[in-house]
Amino acid sequence: MIVIKNRSVRSFIRVAVPFFVIPALALFGSIAFDRKKHIIISLAAAFFALMVFISGFEKKSVGTRRLVITAVMTALCFIGRFIPFLKPITALTIITALYLGGESGFLVGAMTAILSNIYFGHGPWTAFQMLAWGLIGLIAGFLSEPLKRNKLLLLIYGAAAGIAYSFIMDIWTVLWYNNGFDTRLYLSALVTAIPYTLSYMISNVMFLVVLAKPFGEKLGRIKIKYGV
Amino acid sequence: MEILNVKGLSFTYPQCGNKALDDITFSVSRGEFIVLCGATGSGKTTLLRMLKRELTPLGDKEGVIEYNEKNIDELDERTSASAIGFVMQRPEQQIVTDKVWHELAFGLENLGFKRDEIARRTAEVASYFGMSEWYEKNTEELSGGQKQLLNLASILAVHPDIIILDEPTSQLDPIAASEFIAALKRLNREFSITIIISEHRLEELVPVCDRLMVMDKGKVVYFDEPKKAAPYIRELPQVQLGMPSAARLYYKLDNGSESPLTIREGKDYIEFNYKNEIRSLPQRKYGHSDEKALEFKDVSFRYSRDSRDILKGLDLTVYKGELFSVLGGNGAGKTTFLKAAADLVKIYNGQIRIFGKKTKEYKNRSLYKNGLAMLPQDVQTVFLKNTVREELDDSGTDIKNLPFDLSYLLEKHPYDLSGGEQQLLALAKVLAANPHLLLLDEPTKGLDAAAKQKISGVLHDLKEKNVTVVSVTHDVEFAAMSSDRCAMFFNGRIAASGTPDDFFSENTFYTTAISRITRGVYDKIVTLEDAVEICTLNGRRTG
Amino acid sequence: MRRFEEYEPFVITVFFLSVIVIAMFSVHPVVVFLTFITGILFYIIRNGKKHIRSHLFFAMLFVILAVANPLVSHNGVTVLFVINNNPVTLEAFLYGINSAMMIVGVLYWFRSFTQIMTSDKLLYVFGIFSPKLSLILSMALRFIPMFRNQAERVKDAQKAMGLYSDDNIIDDIRSNMRVFSIVVTWALENGITTADSMSARGYGTGKRTNFSDYRFGRSDIVLLITDILLFIIVIYVSASGHLDFNFYPSVSYSGHDTIGLIGSIAYGILLMLPVYIEIRGNIRWKYLMSKV
Ligand SMILES: Nc1ncnc2c1ncn2[C@@H]1O[C@H](COP(=O)(O)OP(=O)(O)OP(=O)(O)O)[C@@H](O)[C@H]1O
Ligand SMILES: Nc1ncnc2c1ncn2[C@@H]1O[C@H](COP(=O)(O)OP(=O)(O)OP(=O)(O)O)[C@@H](O)[C@H]1O
Ligand SMILES: [Mg+2]
Ligand SMILES: [Mg+2]
Repeated sequence: MIVIKNRSVRSFIRVAVPFFVIPALALFGSIAFDRKKHIIISLAAAFFALMVFISGFEKKSVGTRRLVITAVMTALCFIGRFIPFLKPITALTIITALYLGGESGFLVGAMTAILSNIYFGHGPWTAFQMLAWGLIGLIAGFLSEPLKRNKLLLLIYGAAAGIAYSFIMDIWTVLWYNNGFDTRLYLSALVTAIPYTLSYMISNVMFLVVLAKPFGEKLGRIKIKYGV
Repeated sequence: MEILNVKGLSFTYPQCGNKALDDITFSVSRGEFIVLCGATGSGKTTLLRMLKRELTPLGDKEGVIEYNEKNIDELDERTSASAIGFVMQRPEQQIVTDKVWHELAFGLENLGFKRDEIARRTAEVASYFGMSEWYEKNTEELSGGQKQLLNLASILAVHPDIIILDEPTSQLDPIAASEFIAALKRLNREFSITIIISEHRLEELVPVCDRLMVMDKGKVVYFDEPKKAAPYIRELPQVQLGMPSAARLYYKLDNGSESPLTIREGKDYIEFNYKNEIRSLPQRKYGHSDEKALEFKDVSFRYSRDSRDILKGLDLTVYKGELFSVLGGNGAGKTTFLKAAADLVKIYNGQIRIFGKKTKEYKNRSLYKNGLAMLPQDVQTVFLKNTVREELDDSGTDIKNLPFDLSYLLEKHPYDLSGGEQQLLALAKVLAANPHLLLLDEPTKGLDAAAKQKISGVLHDLKEKNVTVVSVTHDVEFAAMSSDRCAMFFNGRIAASGTPDDFFSENTFYTTAISRITRGVYDKIVTLEDAVEICTLNGRRTG
Repeated sequence: MRRFEEYEPFVITVFFLSVIVIAMFSVHPVVVFLTFITGILFYIIRNGKKHIRSHLFFAMLFVILAVANPLVSHNGVTVLFVINNNPVTLEAFLYGINSAMMIVGVLYWFRSFTQIMTSDKLLYVFGIFSPKLSLILSMALRFIPMFRNQAERVKDAQKAMGLYSDDNIIDDIRSNMRVFSIVVTWALENGITTADSMSARGYGTGKRTNFSDYRFGRSDIVLLITDILLFIIVIYVSASGHLDFNFYPSVSYSGHDTIGLIGSIAYGILLMLPVYIEIRGNIRWKYLMSKV
């Protein structure tokens, strides 16, 4: 077993392996071997990325309070998913990440996907939803300092997250449908998804405007009072 | 052998001036049953939490707490978690999982017991408490009493040495409460588990405990056998008022050092010392105005189409200016009845009139504009703001006009108040609505006896102003002293009602301790004041 | 006799995973068709005539998916006709039908999966891999109804205190926002208390046992082994190219060899396992009932 002393290197590896190395290998694998197996390879990559991240999390000692607060935020996101048209999930994931760190953000995003799909229906897309929302949270955690300082930046990040989410889910749709990547299909999927993409962007920006401050205060109070 | 040893313990909450605990020293022997009492906000919860390391709040702590002669900060995690069990003030707060069986197993899972062992122990405690009926249920569906029992059982499954309980019976009906206390006593006797319990309703607890600990403003002022407490707590009206009725009667009449505690001792004491030539006091007249404040006619309600009726053809009239109390078991439907009166649930049959007008005819929520106001059972639902001050300002309360003191709490978050303080704050908010019809759901839970008396006074003042008050309560003593009429709620209807004197002297279980003590000696005596009066009237037996 | 949903959740999960992996791995029409037909069959056996609307939805989805491909994709050599200067080819058309069958078939299987794997089973399986996350999930599940109830209760409490009694929309929205805000505070606060209760009861002190009522019996082992064997056969056959199928540029496939046939049959058996278990259970049950 290799022991890495430096903490930041360690945490970098914990993130880099699942989210960059594995997908890169998968991409390479699918190009090198069989063009048609994109779908299964991408699914496997998503799956393994999640597994690696989760097992890393499992080994780490996380405070019980933090764990439960993550569950609370997940439950709130879940309830938010029932609002028609406008979904606060991404916004709440980002906010969680800002105050409790990228890992909590990732978990809230990913867990919401699992949980809400118990009602909205599970499918192969669950893995991609987990990844998409999770990564949005994770990256927000990395950027938490500038995002907390600059509201405009936060809103831009929110809008970008909406687009990114749509792009990722569309790639996946096309892969599944076509069993391989097809640019034309992808473009047409993107076009048909424009209303959705817009609604994601609007939801994210709107909910960030409304929720960022009060949630910040509340999470801040919890942090001070209970030292989460 | 000493199992707990507390030396010079002080504690201050962050951003708070005064100490919540002030230089406390005491020790507890193995197998003792200890009752902790004291006024609202005197620091009981804080002290109990200090004894359980995992629940110790953030703040400045001084002093040492030892478990089996070892500092609890140095105990290993397993011992600390398993040896000391804690049952929290609000039963739903402690529950972690969604199934009863899982809740029972939770502590054992955490300590890494083998599956067979877990199965055996959960089966054992479940049978011990007769829980097999609801073993597979969702924890959400349990009644308050069942939740509290589940909490106790799941703590017990890990075989603790000490069980600490923080006001475990405050929301239980009188019968469930006494069963719960009996269960505790049994654990204490049969398994010599040390028990430390804080409570305001001491009627049944004090007689069974070994030692009574009294707290006042963060200090321990008395810690010895309850019988001998009389001389010490004479100066502490808040504590004295909470003592068992037999003892209080004794405090009023006599001055010796060993007081009676149980009903039986009380009865013996009266029979032995006082004559009973005059058997009853002149009857108080019951009269009411002609105007009806609240009227239920054949009201039926259920929560969903295929569940049972909670209100079953309920008929009831409360007159203007009346103080009306409703008693009844856990889950009988008392809260539901109040909700129906406040038009918060839709009844499917019958009619509800408020001041003669059907609830439906109150448009645009005009019902609640200086008409009706309700204090809900869960008072945390009343708070919306970040500090007590904002909370009071928002509702337009003038702090000077309040019958109780909240001024020392102004800058605190409502959720940081002690249980009793929250109750008082919520009451203040509801009173600020200036209602003509006031509905109170368990207004005295978690309050010390002195605060209860103050609230009773508030109700009588309101009556003077012709305000009608309907309260739902488990506290028979409170009902006896602050109502014109009492009613028993059972099976979706009012099963019996009458003036407190009639009502309580006819009931066997739902009755005040004084009524039980004086029964057979005097007639229709249900409150302490009356008992004192009739004893004095009769005079002492001579010889 | 146990019904399929009464098997050990882990075994059930392995079954669904193996079906879905194969279904997504192979484009061979036989495989796709088997997935599609048995998916519908299993769903109907379990649900009878209920959920007509789901069937209608899936039928519509099928048509849309089948038609979309030839309209967008113009690969293939056999041109059927031309729309807007774009050729519509037979290959693209067949490919669309195949994809639609695959997607709708997988969706049906997932529908059954969602039905069978109720939240507690899902959490149990999840708990095998990651106890911590499983706990987060199960707590979140418990919190959801709690938060809703609390919001209702706060609303009622505020209403009955006459605080927000103006009856207009602005006031409504404002008071709803306040309720939402305080419920969030409450939820966080309540979460902390739950966390404290957990640590007070030894959570996080060491290795945790995962106690559950699910038992791994003989029939579970039989099902699991059968499942894995069949899965390996199908994957082997498929990976070794015996179940290859190409639509573009023109329809071509690996030929009717025995190995391909064995693979298809193995897959068919795999898919029929739950159907068989379900029917057997029904028959036994009826038989037992008739004796009572
Ligand atoms: N988390 C907290 N932060 C700040 N102050 C607190 C906190 N919890 C309690 N207090 C204060 O400490 C004092 C003692 O509170 P505690 O809860 O121990 O009282 P208690 O005796 O249990 O009262 P009750 O009988 O009403 O439950 C109170 O004045 C209370 O306002
Ligand atoms: N929102 C609800 N939905 C469904 N059932 C409910 C709801 N609230 C209460 N009940 C059920 O209605 C019954 C009566 O409940 P209610 O709260 O009125 O009892 P209660 O007499 O106030 O009890 P307690 O003394 O414990 O407060 C109980 O069986 C309870 O489980
Ligand atoms: Mg307390
Ligand atoms: Mg109630």
